[in-house]
Amino acid sequence: MATLEINSLHAKVAEEGGERILEGVDLTVESGEIHALMGPNGSGKSTTAKIIAGHPAYEVTDGDVLLHLDSEEYDEEIPEDLQTWDLLDLEPNERAALGIFLGFQYPAEIEGVTMVNFLRTALNAKLEGREELFENDEEAEAEDDEEAGYDTSPMEGAADEGEVSVAEFQQLLKEKMEQLDMDESFAERYLNVGFSGGEKKQNEVLQAAILEPEIAVLDEIDSGLDIDRLQDVSKGINSLRDDQGTGVLQITHYQRILDYVEPDHVHVMLDGQIAQSGGPELAEKLEDEGYDWVREQVYEAA
Amino acid sequence: MSTQVHATVTEADVEQISAELGEPDWLTETRLEAFEALEALPMPSVIRTPGRDWTNLDALDYEELVDPLEWAEEKDRVEAEGVEVLSWAEALEDHGDLIEDHFGSVVDPQRDYLTALSTALFGAGTVVYVPEGVDAEDVKIRTTMNSRSLFNYTLVVAEKSSSVTILERQHTGEPVEGDQYYSGVVEVTAGENATVQYGALQNLAEDTYNFSIKRGHADTYGTINWIEGNLGSRLTKTSVETRLLGDGSESKIVGAFFGHDDQHFDLASRVWHEGEHTTADLVTRGVLDDTARSVYEGVQDVGEDAWDTNSYQRENTLMLSDDSEADASPKLIINNHDTEASHSATVGQVDQDDLFYMTSRGVDEESATNMLVEGFFVPVLEEVEVDELREDLDALVLERLGI
Repeated sequence: MATLEINSLHAKVAEEGGERILEGVDLTVESGEIHALMGPNGSGKSTTAKIIAGHPAYEVTDGDVLLHLDSEEYDEEIPEDLQTWDLLDLEPNERAALGIFLGFQYPAEIEGVTMVNFLRTALNAKLEGREELFENDEEAEAEDDEEAGYDTSPMEGAADEGEVSVAEFQQLLKEKMEQLDMDESFAERYLNVGFSGGEKKQNEVLQAAILEPEIAVLDEIDSGLDIDRLQDVSKGINSLRDDQGTGVLQITHYQRILDYVEPDHVHVMLDGQIAQSGGPELAEKLEDEGYDWVREQVYEAA
Repeated sequence: MSTQVHATVTEADVEQISAELGEPDWLTETRLEAFEALEALPMPSVIRTPGRDWTNLDALDYEELVDPLEWAEEKDRVEAEGVEVLSWAEALEDHGDLIEDHFGSVVDPQRDYLTALSTALFGAGTVVYVPEGVDAEDVKIRTTMNSRSLFNYTLVVAEKSSSVTILERQHTGEPVEGDQYYSGVVEVTAGENATVQYGALQNLAEDTYNFSIKRGHADTYGTINWIEGNLGSRLTKTSVETRLLGDGSESKIVGAFFGHDDQHFDLASRVWHEGEHTTADLVTRGVLDDTARSVYEGVQDVGEDAWDTNSYQRENTLMLSDDSEADASPKLIINNHDTEASHSATVGQVDQDDLFYMTSRGVDEESATNMLVEGFFVPVLEEVEVDELREDLDALVLERLGI
């Protein structure tokens, strides 16, 4: 079990006199839950997502983003002092190692780097990064001594290519691609290069399935999808939750995907704050009536 | 000239080099003429971009660098079936007429000061002779430079309907105290319907000044493809050129470079469309780190009679540090309207969104950058048909990245 806790998050564009975008966001997402984050363009949804993952373009001026882990996270015993992490102190790759995943609205196209190569590197980096984060100094020393004591470590050989070997990884990738109804040939293609909009989104869900995050933030994963692919992607998201216990924060403009991925909680963002929260019925109401009534309610109350 | 190398080198030296190689009189004469011409010849023209001359060849102390009688190298020549790959002395003995026909026919022996210097003083030489109809792969010429200065000359003659793949490598053997000077001239003649792929990988010690000119003439339906990798040297001044003389001839010039520390690269790719229905494709990619500098010039010159020309050029430079500098000058000169052409050049830093995409998946910034750099070279590597060259180039890139 893990919990992502966002408290009073204020942020601006990271430059002198940069625009203030977040004006106090409070949000909590737990493992196994699906949250939908809705709201009009420019309300701060994508910025929230990017700040959780550590995008350097934004500066947090107040508030915090915490990740609480269970005492038994990652099938390991976690000491109490390492159960809560302040994500804002960590690099993006360290956040990923703890189990944060950001699915991009516009995934980068990386020329010359194959999917299979990138994903295996990412998975191994994540496992390694996690080990480093939880390794305290005493253990590190003990390990060094231990290594010095043996001529050959039983881990040798595998160490070079990382914890997950090429063969193991290819098997894993093949399985996950089948589940998502993706063509095998994607594995050898360059990362997102020449992918259609829908293929890119499918690829984001595939990467989440392989990296097995604690919390996945999916930024408009449903935009640009036809109905068949929407179903594939939805299946992938449900499987993240059902099979891996991932907590999902799903940013969307449309009710449509929520028919396939039923949210436990729906939040409406307005002007850099969560203006309203409720159950699935809130999304339906937004679909029918738009955001104006939320705005009216908020400003009446104020 | 501000620098006079021939204050320390004499006519007698030139004659001695020629005599030791057992050269015929015409060649000794050609050398002496080039030597005499030095005084009046200008330095090779350097690439200029608005407001800046990037390379100052006059600043080199040639007197100090050039020691033509004391040259030493190790040559490893790998033949392929049907092709003759000969040392200069052997070639003169077996194919004197062939050499007389072609020597200096592609690269003017007095093209500029540094070329004339090479003509007068070269000691190391190789001739690749591909007779009519022969198909040959994997000719290799590996040069290990073991002296203060080395002047290297290579002639490739591919006769009608032949094809050959040549891989040339230059690197430094035993360390020599002080700065070094390497000069290489390559002439390629591709006859009717002949194909020459010439790949060169320069990885000289980083206190070496490197001057290189490679130029080819393609006859009717002839093809000359160049690959040029530059990783070594302190300063490299190089030009790779093809004249598409025959109708239906083609050329591809592929370049890759990776500079670090204070390396300086002045790189040109040039093609002249002279026959009809000719095609050229110029692709160069380079990476710079630390305080390295590069300037690139690509020229596509479409002549008046070059009907139905296809000509493409793209160059991309990726800078990994704030202190590296790069510029590019793609030039398209069209004198025949029946031309399809494109040219583009970009200079930029690592894309921050690409980097964030990768780090957010768990890969640390350094590893992500390395993957981006390796991936950046892939489109160029994919153009390399010779496995050994592609693997060596990739290995050198990884080595430079510290992987």
